[in-house]
Amino acid sequence: MSVLRGFLWLLAFFLLGQTIALWLPIALPAGVIGMLLLTLWFCQRGGMNTDVVAISQPLIAMLALLIMPGVVEIFFVAGRFADQAGAILSALLLGTLASVASSLWLMRRCLPPETPHE
Amino acid sequence: MSELGMSLAALPQTWFATPIGAIALTLAAYFLGVHLFKLLRHPSWCPPVIIAALLIAAVIALLPIGIDDYNRGAAWLMLLLGPATVALAVPLYQQLGQIRALWKPIVLTLPLSATLASCYAVLIAWLLGAPREVLASLAPKSVTSPIALSLTQELGGSTALLMGALMTTGITAIFGVEWLSRWMRIRDQRLIGLALGINGHALGTVRAFEISHQAGAFASLGMSLTGAFTAIVLPLVWHLWA
Repeated sequence: MSVLRGFLWLLAFFLLGQTIALWLPIALPAGVIGMLLLTLWFCQRGGMNTDVVAISQPLIAMLALLIMPGVVEIFFVAGRFADQAGAILSALLLGTLASVASSLWLMRRCLPPETPHE
Repeated sequence: MSELGMSLAALPQTWFATPIGAIALTLAAYFLGVHLFKLLRHPSWCPPVIIAALLIAAVIALLPIGIDDYNRGAAWLMLLLGPATVALAVPLYQQLGQIRALWKPIVLTLPLSATLASCYAVLIAWLLGAPREVLASLAPKSVTSPIALSLTQELGGSTALLMGALMTTGITAIFGVEWLSRWMRIRDQRLIGLALGINGHALGTVRAFEISHQAGAFASLGMSLTGAFTAIVLPLVWHLWA
């Protein structure tokens, strides 16, 4: 029951996100607005709602499963992007390696060294 | 007898007439994918999701049903992406203490890293002459899937291409972080976790939790903040620039 109550909270914050998205000047996904509002709500009440924690763990663990149906389609539409394959693959492979390198470099410079008690 | 054969031949259509067939196929393929992944001794270049997606594609190709029949049913499962995004508030709130302690370096580095993650790919693809639709599908490639999906729809990209881009990016980021951190002699788990979360979204975060709990916590922080930052900035920049 706790899981279902938590799910209702998530749905409520998603709907709230959809409502607020109508008035925002920029198109922000309803889920993102809901996520930010829920974090604010946790901050305001000084702790997390146990029902929401109960549903969040299985839902986040399911993220990979939820992406999968979208991945299947790429095998069927790959032909449409065949002439772009070179550009797409170099952008993804080189771009990702470059961004990994720059974020590691940036953070090594800016993050204070780990203190022993952490 | 032939009547029985006829109804047997129509069975796949019956299964996929409601979303139940597609949902069952997705779950079965996922668990089989995880099982095969363990049998293959956890190859980092081939996560369970890819194995499972290939299995589903093979089943769809073999049965007399089309990708549209599958997508119609699987859309019910993907509806959960909305509440799953809202659920990311939990790791975000759990990390608030860490964010407060490290807010300065994080505020300095994360927006830049998140911007670079998107810009490098868009720039390379643009230089190589990719059309606008492809650029819009590649721009959110380092963002966690529920956010990336709504972003690409907003920018006018292809959902299928974005999904492929998300997979490729996740795998490359895992490989890149492990290789480059060894090469740069970085052992700080917080750093490795952040790099995995910023560049490799959910796939990188799952990998970071395998390394250590601390790396995983920082990866979910990197993933949530990259998602929130990109979701706010990308549509603005895109519409100004376009």
